[in-house]
Amino acid sequence: MCIDSQMLSAYLDGELKEPYRTQVEEHLEHCAACRKHLEDMRSLDRRIKDADFPEEMLMRSKDRIFDLLDSKYFQNGRKVSFIRRRLEISLPSLITAAAAVVFIFIGGFMFFGTSSDQTEDILPSFQLQADSSNVRFVSDSTGLENYTLEEILQYLDSKGYKVDISIKGLQPLEAGEAVPAL
Amino acid sequence: MEIKSTDRDDFRRIYDENYHLLIQVIMHIVYNIEIAEDLTQEAFERFYVKNMTFPSEDDARYWLLRVSKNLALNHIRRNKREVEMVEKVRHIPSAAVETHDGAEAAVEAENRREVRAAIEALPENLRMVIQLKEYSGLDYRSIAKVLGISETNVKVRVHRARKKLEEILSTEDRDVY
Repeated sequence: MCIDSQMLSAYLDGELKEPYRTQVEEHLEHCAACRKHLEDMRSLDRRIKDADFPEEMLMRSKDRIFDLLDSKYFQNGRKVSFIRRRLEISLPSLITAAAAVVFIFIGGFMFFGTSSDQTEDILPSFQLQADSSNVRFVSDSTGLENYTLEEILQYLDSKGYKVDISIKGLQPLEAGEAVPAL
Repeated sequence: MEIKSTDRDDFRRIYDENYHLLIQVIMHIVYNIEIAEDLTQEAFERFYVKNMTFPSEDDARYWLLRVSKNLALNHIRRNKREVEMVEKVRHIPSAAVETHDGAEAAVEAENRREVRAAIEALPENLRMVIQLKEYSGLDYRSIAKVLGISETNVKVRVHRARKKLEEILSTEDRDVY
């Protein structure tokens, strides 16, 4: 019995394990048909491999791209990304800044006392309280109920709308000719 | 040996050992050297940015191959029409021709065109396997790792792809003579 072509294909790739490999080799010794089959497969394989791209084309930018990545991620020989490096610097300075703000805030009370007049001077926003004198209604009721029907109709008319009004249960005067309004 | 993707020495070694492999695999998917170079760079950038530790160089290689393959496939899906247009204009990569004499280059280019057309005619699951087999020098085990399929499956697909390619390429020859 001859070798099936899947086995030959694996044999060609050097992927056939023992004992099959030896068996295939022994069979190939005396079977011209299988030798021919293998040879065809090999030449097809060569043909496909020959369609590969030339080395110098594939490798032409290798160094350029490495230099680019190197300067982007490993500049000055440091192994830390720029984000982390920036964080390392900014974190202590952030704490210092926060401490300074707190210090000035507390210092204000310590040196100037806490009488309401002075507090107003230092922190004017503390004075504001929500009583009737400084709360103002922002929205006015400007709904349609403030207008008469006539005003609304006039407005719509001035904008060029054709408005047809009818009252439920009442027939128009010339009911015979006019289309009854819905 | 453990590989840390943000370590400069590790990065350099992985880059040197895999650049050729990655660009070759990508190139056989996109068929355009500029795009292949961009995508190869992108793959290595992701490798760095991911900041991962791999148990071995092989694991790093499989990861990079998977990323490269996906980048390339996504690229052609996105730019299918654009790629076809570019290809029409420049059928043969110019760099291929310069180094050989005319006749030899013409035969080579002709073969490349035929083989490429034949490979493109394969269903996607066969195409990827045969390309990795023929153009990356990876063994069945590695291809299985990259594609997330079994070794037996790789063996079957390589064989099926070969059979199909033989059919396609031999019909072409009959048409010629």
